[in-house]
Amino acid sequence: MYVIGITLWYNLLKNKINKYYIDAKIKGDDSMLDFIKKNNVKMSGEGEQAIIFAAGFGCDQTMWRYVAPQFEKEYRVILFDYVGAGKSDYSAYQSEKYKTLEGYAQDVVEMCKELRLKEVIYVGHSVGATIGMLASLQEPALFKQLIMLGPSPCYINDLPSYKGGFEREDLDGLFEMMELNYIGWANYLSKVVMKNLERPELAAELEGSFCSTDPLCAKEFARATFLSDYRHVLQQVTVSTCILQCKDDSIAPKEVGIYMNEHIKESAIFFMEATGHCPHVSQPEETTQLIFSCLANI
Amino acid sequence: MDELLDRAPCGFLSMTEDGTITLVNQTLVELLDYKRENLVGEHINLILTSPSCLFVQLYLLPLIALEGHVEELYITLKTKNGGEIPILINASKKNVIENNNIKCILIPIRQRNKYENELLIAKKDAEAALKAKHDAIEELRVTLETLESQTEELLRLNEQNQQFKIETKRELELARKIQQTSLTSPIQNKDIEMETFYKASKDLSGDIYGIYQLDSTRFGIILLDVMGHGISSALITMSLHALFHRLIREDGLTVEKVMKGLDNHLHELFQNNEEARHYCTAIFLLVDTDKQQIDYINAGHPSALWQDANGTQFELHSTTPPLGLFKNVRFESQTLLYKNSGRLLLYTDGVDPLGTEYLHPFLMENASLSLPAFKKKMLQTLSNCQIDNSKSDDQCFIIIDIK
Repeated sequence: MYVIGITLWYNLLKNKINKYYIDAKIKGDDSMLDFIKKNNVKMSGEGEQAIIFAAGFGCDQTMWRYVAPQFEKEYRVILFDYVGAGKSDYSAYQSEKYKTLEGYAQDVVEMCKELRLKEVIYVGHSVGATIGMLASLQEPALFKQLIMLGPSPCYINDLPSYKGGFEREDLDGLFEMMELNYIGWANYLSKVVMKNLERPELAAELEGSFCSTDPLCAKEFARATFLSDYRHVLQQVTVSTCILQCKDDSIAPKEVGIYMNEHIKESAIFFMEATGHCPHVSQPEETTQLIFSCLANI
Repeated sequence: MDELLDRAPCGFLSMTEDGTITLVNQTLVELLDYKRENLVGEHINLILTSPSCLFVQLYLLPLIALEGHVEELYITLKTKNGGEIPILINASKKNVIENNNIKCILIPIRQRNKYENELLIAKKDAEAALKAKHDAIEELRVTLETLESQTEELLRLNEQNQQFKIETKRELELARKIQQTSLTSPIQNKDIEMETFYKASKDLSGDIYGIYQLDSTRFGIILLDVMGHGISSALITMSLHALFHRLIREDGLTVEKVMKGLDNHLHELFQNNEEARHYCTAIFLLVDTDKQQIDYINAGHPSALWQDANGTQFELHSTTPPLGLFKNVRFESQTLLYKNSGRLLLYTDGVDPLGTEYLHPFLMENASLSLPAFKKKMLQTLSNCQIDNSKSDDQCFIIIDIK
């Protein structure tokens, strides 16, 4: 995997993808690197067609580590972290912007534009799928296909017509549980978040941790995710969509996947053998194979 | 299952990667109030509260899949009766003995949970307090900014005020000169000789006087003191000045006509404006050196003093109320006949600190002094007296020697 940075410039040069970046490098224009730092963008792969993998709630791009490498031979693979998660730039976090998923979607759009990408394939897990869908509503031309892994437009029950799977109390309980699980390491993380430039070892420590998320960001992201309701925008989606539905997914039940498939115009649904909510982690082979099927289907 | 593990002082369970329970120990079975056969083969969600189901799906299972283990995750178990038990869970799929299943140790933390809840509440309180503090600081900062801009505004206004003061001072100085210019000069001739003193407490005075030679033997002398002092009083003195200047020089002059004219003028001036009403005390003397007669009216003014060459003193005291105070007052002139030469002292109440009872002997004791020397001594006495008297008034006096 090529790491963005100096190596990327040579990689891009080699592939003659975009003179723009080379110009930027020659001019020493750091601002162009800002979005890369902000979302910890990583690129790899030999192909021309870009494929973005977006993580779900609570984790970062490492969730894709069993799946994404399978696409490097034929595609240009792009991974990123949401601001406030993983190795993103925590200082770029603004509560006002990220209190709804549109804020995250805006970052995806900006990332595509900065990378001069068009007609990308976007694979999103869980809330990552919703974020991609919202980004496609902002800039439909940027997207060629949306592949949604365990998506849900609304997690809260709206009985009798809609069964999202949860009552409001369940979600409040989750937020509380998250807070209690953060007690131990909140202090450690906040030190990192506080841009402790005079203590670079803290950043190194953070790199060693897995699925690191700032507690404040996680709390707000959880609310933005689980209290959202995007059922009304499903019909506005114009990009070709492919839904991968797990068996026994208590977070995004089968009924929710079917509901989405029914409401998005150009949509197909595949029912997986994998169980649970994270098939890309628990059943990476099946997940990879199904994503390839979706790609072939378009 | 090993007897030791079955009865270990903590819950133990084993499950497949997708969460199906394959093994539970007796401790956990009892904790959850189930029978062992009710749990094995079931999904772990059965013994989890709803939030915990979410949490296990979102964090626990993915973490184990990626890292192989988790430590100290806090979740809540649900007993058969729906009771909730907070636990800490350690889980691992490493150290594989029989298969790839996930082995979990579950420790109830009821006490610790209470403590952590307290901590969480305290943390939230602290965060709220910190936010309140930041808000307060922000508010203070805004207040400070406002204060600074207000101070700036005040400084600007002060500067404006200073400028205004300078201009006003200049204006008042000019007005004072105009008022002083209106004062007539003392008359010096073979029959009569006089000295005057005129001093405003502020820039402008509420006192005014006029001295007129009407013919070879007749002289009109008038002294007025408008109530108050400063600009408003000074304006009235100027209005009265214009009037008596005309009245005194009219044909058929009488003391009554002058005083009545001034009285009427004040009533007319303020008839529609009670708020602005001013009155004034006045004394007007018509001296005839040929007849050796002084006709006068004193309207509420301090008594004038006459002292003849023998040292006999006579007080020309007030016989009518001040001008402009009551309507329809009848003015009747008094007459003083003198035999030989003498000295006449007219003054306003700004000189009064000396007091009439003081001026009587003062006039007596200094009868031998020349007119300028007498004036000088009177001013000395007045300035000595003034030291204790912070409340200053306009001062004016006229000394007349009739030969």
